[in-house]
Amino acid sequence: MSDSEGGAQVTAAPAAPAATVAVARGTRGGALPRWRLLVRRPTFIVGAVILLFWIVCAMFGHLIAPDNPLAQNLLSPNTGPSGAHWLGTDQLGRDVLSRILAGARDILLITLLATLLGTVLGTVLGLAMGYFGGAFDLVTGRIVEAVLALPAVIIAFLFVVALGPSTVTLVVLIGLIFTPLIARTVRAAVLAERHMDYLSAARLLGERPAYIMFREVLPNVMPAILVEFTVRLGYAVFTVATLSFLGFGVQPPTPDWGADIAANYGVLPAGYWWETLFPALAIASLVTAIILVTDSIEQVLSS
Amino acid sequence: MRISNRRLGQLRQGQGEIANHVIDEFAAGRISRREFIRRGSVIGISMPLLGAIISACSSSSSTAPATSSSSGAPAGKAGAIIKAGIVTPTGQINPVTVPDQGGLDMLGQTGEYLCLSDQTLTLKPVLATSWSANSKADVWTFKIRQGVKFHNGAPLTADDVVYTYKLQSNPSGSSNALSVFGGVLTPAGVKKVDDHTVAFHLEAPNGNFPYLTSSDNYNMIILPNGYDPTKWQSSFIGTGPFVLNSYTPKVGASFKRNESYWGTKALPSATQFTFYDTQTPSILALTAGTIDVVGQFSVAGAEQLLTGGYNIIRLKSSAHRELSMRCDQAPFTDPRVRQAIALALNRPGIIQALFKGYADVGNDSPFAPVFPSTNSGVAQRAQDLAKAKSLLSAAGHGSGFSTQLITEQAQEIPQYAQIVVQEAAAIGVKVSLKVESSAAYYGKATFGNSDWLDATMSLVDYGHRGVPNVFLGAPLESINAKTGTGAWNAAHFSNSQYDKLVSQYVGAIDLSTQRSIAGQIQTLLLDQTPVIYGYFYNYLTATAKNVSGVYPTAIGHLFLTSATKG
Repeated sequence: MSDSEGGAQVTAAPAAPAATVAVARGTRGGALPRWRLLVRRPTFIVGAVILLFWIVCAMFGHLIAPDNPLAQNLLSPNTGPSGAHWLGTDQLGRDVLSRILAGARDILLITLLATLLGTVLGTVLGLAMGYFGGAFDLVTGRIVEAVLALPAVIIAFLFVVALGPSTVTLVVLIGLIFTPLIARTVRAAVLAERHMDYLSAARLLGERPAYIMFREVLPNVMPAILVEFTVRLGYAVFTVATLSFLGFGVQPPTPDWGADIAANYGVLPAGYWWETLFPALAIASLVTAIILVTDSIEQVLSS
Repeated sequence: MRISNRRLGQLRQGQGEIANHVIDEFAAGRISRREFIRRGSVIGISMPLLGAIISACSSSSSTAPATSSSSGAPAGKAGAIIKAGIVTPTGQINPVTVPDQGGLDMLGQTGEYLCLSDQTLTLKPVLATSWSANSKADVWTFKIRQGVKFHNGAPLTADDVVYTYKLQSNPSGSSNALSVFGGVLTPAGVKKVDDHTVAFHLEAPNGNFPYLTSSDNYNMIILPNGYDPTKWQSSFIGTGPFVLNSYTPKVGASFKRNESYWGTKALPSATQFTFYDTQTPSILALTAGTIDVVGQFSVAGAEQLLTGGYNIIRLKSSAHRELSMRCDQAPFTDPRVRQAIALALNRPGIIQALFKGYADVGNDSPFAPVFPSTNSGVAQRAQDLAKAKSLLSAAGHGSGFSTQLITEQAQEIPQYAQIVVQEAAAIGVKVSLKVESSAAYYGKATFGNSDWLDATMSLVDYGHRGVPNVFLGAPLESINAKTGTGAWNAAHFSNSQYDKLVSQYVGAIDLSTQRSIAGQIQTLLLDQTPVIYGYFYNYLTATAKNVSGVYPTAIGHLFLTSATKG
């Protein structure tokens, strides 16, 4: 690289990513045995199996379900768990088990898409805040804090009322609500990287900020983002279930855990506990599974 | 029936033309004894006279009193404190504006009406002692009871009645009772005859007008002349058997016996009301013994009350749900399509699933089985999927179609809506459901600003009324922005023949004419089916086993004046 300055610039471009890739590979090289560590953890296995079960239900629930989750039997409503209906029937005589299996689809789909959206947007925002710092960080930081001061469900509630419930609304809304939360975490991770030599080197080489952020910084804060994504996934399940419970999610008669709890908890005092308990357990098991997986990932990554 | 014509002739003397017509109908056997009592009470024949006429027309001397259901034979002790749980009043307790069950229940604790529409829809005199109509039934004259005092000691006179009725019928005011008085009574028509007589000059003949002065028109408690209704919440002033002890909005109210009451004094020494936003905690409070009475409950979630451990008071009512289809929007412009949806419903199954049978099957008109004027000769519509499918084919929808049903999150309505969705699917009609909060669903409650009135299919709740007049009017009459008719016509139904029949029905004075016109209306509505009336559910009240004498009405009152606790 002893040629003209122009030549140096031309060759510098491939040189810098090579260095970055080396750093990134260093991380990934360490991560490979970490994945092996992960699958050796019983908590991870338990969480992953439950999660996998619900993912399979989300994809094939309608095929696995013993009955049509929409089929009513008005002459035998509210029958308890039995051989014919393992988890009983609801007020309209529909099979509770079938509704739970089929009901996995919407909650998982909305949860996953919303969290992905929030993570992508939050990462972009967090990278920018951490990288640029200064006035930009100050202003967006205050806005983020203002949004964080409001409970997520209340914000979601307000917007769903205004926009009307639909799957797309829920995904976009929850994604936007999670954006500042994730941005804050990513920003903190970026700040830790900010004074690293490889960044100074990239700057000296004259890289554009976007390039540095996404190609240099991002791979190094990826573990933090991964953990944040799984944590938010758990919260998203709660948020979606809460909105469904309040009647702002998927519309009946489509099976949905939160909506089914809302529709049936009124008959709890009459002793029809199975119509409320089992969808509630479904939500609980999904959240627990996500938390088990999240904890394992976090511990393995930080070890 | 052996008739003492001489005695009957004596009794007929001095009665008006309308009263004599009812007496003749009874004597001729065209109406039953119970119907005679009910109808006679409306047009102002006094109870003793009704009894005398019945005995004159019958070889048996026993007169069957109108059956009433209250919680068991009086067994408990007087002087108890009765604790009741009712639904939370939605707003200020103002006799002019109260639109809800909790609010009207409060009005009825200390206030009184000119007459009471009892559990059998028979009118009983309260603050009016008698009433009668001219031959056209467009002027009704009420005698006001003497010796009645308001809680502040002021005596009740015709001035108080005139003030109350002018206030509540003022078309530029905010009275909730305008939904009843619209086209019937204006302030100019309310006239004082003397200190204890008031005449109502109506806009049009109305054979059922006394019902509009009864507890069914729940806003119409008599207020002292000149009293500001917005201040009522601080005093609960009235003439009733209880006086206010305390009222805390959203929490509850307590009352004590009015020791200077004009009639039979209340049996309880005091009553306490606790407000509940939802049914579940009130049921739990009853089962835990915290309260003695649950004012009203729906079967879903309260089945455990029906197994014998509690007294259940069951009243037939005209409360129902209206499933309307936009007659001005394809594909519902074709009556055959509307009929097909109606034929898809398994009504006995719906009643069993949603109410454990505590409801009457509806026949796609507002003429509920509870109304005496309902023509039971009109055949009941039943589920017939084959006929429904052939109607759809004939209408050009052999392969079905898709549409949307919007409804509200209230009581059993979302469940009912899901049954409709499922049963419509059986004839190839794909209904997508949208369930909203009641506030969002009603919107501004005007055309163009309300999912209730604008949706292609809409499912809404209607409370009980003692006569079908309101049900026949606003939800079904042709929409006319100028006159205000058809204001709740979510089906956008417009049929001049129907409008004509309804005005004939409202003006009809004798029961057989009412019933004959009702039959024509029922047949027309079955043919047109702008609205599906699936069921009329029973009004259910529960009390603890040791409590008796509780007297609810299907409109939502809970009268505790005869309640005892053992």
